[in-house]
Amino acid sequence: MIPSRLWALAALVALAVVPWVLARHQLSLLTDLLIAGLFAMSLDLIMGYTGMVSFGHAAYFGLGAYASALVLLHFAQPVPVALLAGALLAGAVAVPVGWFSTRATGIYFAMLTLAFAQFLYTVAYKWRDLTGGSDGIAGVPKTALFWGGPSLTSPHAFYFVVATCAVVRSPFGRALQAIRENERRFTSLGRDPRPFKLVVFVIAAAFAGLAGALFAPFRGFASPEVMFWVFSGQGLMMVIMGGIGTLVGPILGAMLFILIQEVLSSYTEHWMIFTGVVFVLIVIFLPGGLVGTARRLGARA
Amino acid sequence: MANVLEQLLNALALAGLLFLVSAGLSLVFGILRVVNFAHGVFYMLGAYLGFTTVALSGWFWPALLVVPPVVGAIGALLESSTLRFIYRRPPIYQLLLTFGLALILEESIRVLYGPTAKGVDPPPLLQGAIDLGGVLYPRYRLFLVVLGCTVGVAVWLFLRKTRAGLVIRAVAQNSEMADCLGADVVRVRTLVFGAACALAGLGGVAAAPMTTAYLGMGIGVIVDAFVVVVIGGLGSIGGSMAGSLIVGAAQTWGAFYLPETAMVIMYAVMGAILVFRAWGLFGEEE
Repeated sequence: MIPSRLWALAALVALAVVPWVLARHQLSLLTDLLIAGLFAMSLDLIMGYTGMVSFGHAAYFGLGAYASALVLLHFAQPVPVALLAGALLAGAVAVPVGWFSTRATGIYFAMLTLAFAQFLYTVAYKWRDLTGGSDGIAGVPKTALFWGGPSLTSPHAFYFVVATCAVVRSPFGRALQAIRENERRFTSLGRDPRPFKLVVFVIAAAFAGLAGALFAPFRGFASPEVMFWVFSGQGLMMVIMGGIGTLVGPILGAMLFILIQEVLSSYTEHWMIFTGVVFVLIVIFLPGGLVGTARRLGARA
Repeated sequence: MANVLEQLLNALALAGLLFLVSAGLSLVFGILRVVNFAHGVFYMLGAYLGFTTVALSGWFWPALLVVPPVVGAIGALLESSTLRFIYRRPPIYQLLLTFGLALILEESIRVLYGPTAKGVDPPPLLQGAIDLGGVLYPRYRLFLVVLGCTVGVAVWLFLRKTRAGLVIRAVAQNSEMADCLGADVVRVRTLVFGAACALAGLGGVAAAPMTTAYLGMGIGVIVDAFVVVVIGGLGSIGGSMAGSLIVGAAQTWGAFYLPETAMVIMYAVMGAILVFRAWGLFGEEE
């Protein structure tokens, strides 16, 4: 068994050389993958650590994307400012939504988060003056990464995405573990776990907002599409495919999902049907996802 | 005064459609403990199959009779080929499985029918408007009010007064005990799932002349139906009725008085109810 530190080091080295060996198209695919992975990871936070399933997580990704697009377009600030704006807006909106939603549990929570997300989607769709309606905001400038730094069009930008993911990853797990432990302690003392659920919900939304804020400048647009329920569901698919509550799993799940999408969409424009079939099969036959199944096989061997 | 009557009827017509969808959603949750995300897609399927039937036969009424059983059969087939195997899992897996089914069905309809909306003409009997004491009101919407009420009463009578309804209620209350007492729980689940899909399909056929059959109508209605059952309480037919009326009223009056923010009203009502009753008006605490 290779120690996990060694794995992390190997992954880091691999990511470091990647911008120099991959073609432009592959690099942008990898960037998409990391952004999707970040989104899935933030969703896994809620699912894995509180056991609640949010069916409206795309809304926070979308809020982050819009905030970032608007900041970059109107204030010509470097990327970190846009990221901060995205995370803050998503987190702020998640406070009232979370307050209502965490009053319910289980299936009710899932339905409530979906309902609120569709509401936010409608707002983004209808508020033409600010969001451009169904067209969204196009032409988000690829501004400097830092004040006077390289622009987002350079291959160095990839490092920036990796760094963001790494920063998110390190305090992430520990903060969450603390929350999970505390929830147990709290409920066993007979106190209300809801404030903790709310905190997790808001943190997860802020990280989804961060992923969205990265998405806008890299893809150059923000549109209602990224707030749509399909994208929330796709996030859940990534988490399930990778393995709930594993944090590494969702990244692998995102990888698998985007690869399936890449491969299938080159054969047929109706790739969604086949993605749906693969997903149904995974739900039925591999409930632990990639990571869970690998662990089970490892334990058996 | 005339306006009030018109708005009231609009609210009732919308509530009728919402009830056809949310009753099945609620019923499936009551019996199978599954939140069927694909339920809205069965509504959409009903609308598209309605379009096909009307196009083939040239008549509207056959569609109303033929389409629901077909949609129900497709639903029952999907239940017995996928959902049946994962009832023991945590509820989220069933929700996600139905999400996968929804994707497959929605894309299949896109492949078969193309992206443009399909219009359906109401039957001649229900075209035009009727004079209700000075108010000209579309006949078709009045028909929706009647249809919603009829189906509501029929479902209620079926569950309360027939032997099959008794078995279904027994399975809903305690499926293991019902199993011990000789109820065929597996079959009840499949039949209830199929019946719920048939109701959604009926809703879709009925909605088509008013809204046309279009892609995305499934998710639109499922979100509204979720709000209905969250307000009314999952698993309760009475709750679905009350919730449909509340949401129908909120949307109709919201669209009339505050057109820009009609959506907000529905969510505000839902939020207000949840603050006082987190499990809906008629729901039972889990």
